Amino acid sequence: MSPKATPVWDLWPGDLQWQPMSPQLRKVWVLRSWINLFFLAVAAAVPLTIWLGWEGPLWALGGYAVLASLRSWAVARTVATWGYAERDEDLLVRHGLLTRRLSIVPYGRIQLIDLSAGPIERMFGLTTVQVRTAALGSTTEVPGLDPPVASALRDRLAVRAAEVREGL
Amino acid sequence: MSDEPAPSLAEAPYGPEPSAPTAPPAGVQRQRLHPLTPLLESFRFLTAAVAAAGLQAFTSRNFLFAIYIALAAAVVGGIASLIALQYRGFVIWGRELHIYGGVFTRSHRTVPLDRLQSVDLARPIRARLFGLAQLNIEVAGGDGTDAKLAYLKADRALELRAELLAIAGRPPAEPAPEPAEGAVPDRDAGLLVPQLTVKRLALASVLEALPVQLTAILVFGTAFAVTGSIFGFSTVATTLWVGFFAPALLGYLQSTVAMVNRFLRNGRFRIGRDGTNLLIQRGLTDTSHETVPVDRVTGVSFDEPVLWRSRRWRRVEVWTAAVAQQSATAVKSTTALPVGEPDQVAVVAAAAVPDLPSVFATERPPRRARWRMPLRWKRTGAALTDRAFVVRHGYWVNTHVAVPYARIQSVKVTQGRVQRMQGLATVRALAAGGLGHDAVALHRDVGEAVAMAAELRERADAAAALERPRLS
Repeated sequence: MSPKATPVWDLWPGDLQWQPMSPQLRKVWVLRSWINLFFLAVAAAVPLTIWLGWEGPLWALGGYAVLASLRSWAVARTVATWGYAERDEDLLVRHGLLTRRLSIVPYGRIQLIDLSAGPIERMFGLTTVQVRTAALGSTTEVPGLDPPVASALRDRLAVRAAEVREGL
Repeated sequence: MSDEPAPSLAEAPYGPEPSAPTAPPAGVQRQRLHPLTPLLESFRFLTAAVAAAGLQAFTSRNFLFAIYIALAAAVVGGIASLIALQYRGFVIWGRELHIYGGVFTRSHRTVPLDRLQSVDLARPIRARLFGLAQLNIEVAGGDGTDAKLAYLKADRALELRAELLAIAGRPPAEPAPEPAEGAVPDRDAGLLVPQLTVKRLALASVLEALPVQLTAILVFGTAFAVTGSIFGFSTVATTLWVGFFAPALLGYLQSTVAMVNRFLRNGRFRIGRDGTNLLIQRGLTDTSHETVPVDRVTGVSFDEPVLWRSRRWRRVEVWTAAVAQQSATAVKSTTALPVGEPDQVAVVAAAAVPDLPSVFATERPPRRARWRMPLRWKRTGAALTDRAFVVRHGYWVNTHVAVPYARIQSVKVTQGRVQRMQGLATVRALAAGGLGHDAVALHRDVGEAVAMAAELRERADAAAALERPRLS
């Protein structure tokens, strides 16, 4: 791996135990991207049919297949970049393929912890943990956890947040 | 992570127990707002209606129609406001303030006075005309808890302010109602910085707006001259006027209006410090009193517009965690000094955050980032000082932002596509409050960026541990 390709989070001083997301997350997100693309394909099929006649839907279908396969590849690689690490004082979350993002949330500043699960996530039995601080617009998400892992994480975060409460 | 069982959260009382019944009984006499309130609240609407009626009368010469409109508006408005007033009012009950409002949708807001942050007295010009004032009541704990009492008689508002502060049990250092305007013999007594002279404020406002306005005139002037000389001035004038020059002119006007507004808002600016609060009074037409609790200050920003540079003037703004949020999207920071010389800036900075210096030595991003911001590069930087994380950015308005370590909420490191090829990354320290209230260190070397983030987290913990623990 060339130095330029090293993700920014690998430069963090000290050892971090990165926890991966559930392997099911890839399926969820790939499925979600397929569904989103499907709506796009349907929307594109209408003008194509008017323009090309019966060939229109075929073109839409072909475009859909190509885009969906490309998208699944990209999504699969993106999912691999997600990870979280719990340290003594803070929670680290990393993600992003093109734009790398590393968020560090101190336990003492956590205001609110949400568990949520969308319909596709529920099909695969996954849960998303959202952590909010007093800074607006800084919701940190940890998506795609197995429900027991998610509620355990939530409980640990809540306990630590109550222990080291630092306020605004 | 310890293996101890989680403490039972339900038993620990978060906040004081309510001692009195939470809602006052139905029979309690509500205090009314001033009868002119609905008129003042629909002030803009009224002005628009009058203007529309006047225009109608002027263009169609149909005076009778205008009179009908005016009569109808007066009757409907009068009846509606009389009805509305019956349902509006407030009650101080125990340690809570209850505010009622609404005709069709009744609203009842409870303001816990234990958590009172500040009570600000504001006097918009339309209220001043009638000797009225409004109270902005600010409570710790974010959105939806801030309240406004408008409008009251000015002396009644001052009394009520004192009453609310007394119930909230604020330390006696909090002064009783501030002396009426003009009653102070020495007008600079107790101020951190002598009151700003009108001359300097006017000069500063003009100098700040000048670059934008000059650029606008230059750009559109040359555009007009060039296209005019090619296509002929008359055609250009007619075709471009509607689509191009009119909006540009509007923007120009808007910038001028903003300049004048800022001048009016910051006229007669006085800042004093009282115990743990900064007291600010300002305004030529709309006067307002603001109270900034020093322990709530999340950041201080120092602005230096490009034309102020030679005079070494700077403006100081203070960010607070709980500002009265009139609209949810508005990011509000309080001006603590509209324009000041270096020594005045230093005094105000030290008053807002203890021991905060006002001059910082920031380190620039690496030279390889220069092509991404050719003008700004020299004036961009970041530094970890003793007390605060300081970043600097901007060319036309060069801003230093200082966020005390104890106020850093979370830290983010992001690295875009191009940044990755260059080995750069951006560090962002988020402070409590709205979007845009964060210190962003642009384009640091990637190793330095990550080390900076780790260091920020450590210092934030250390600084927070020194403070007394607080709720909310």
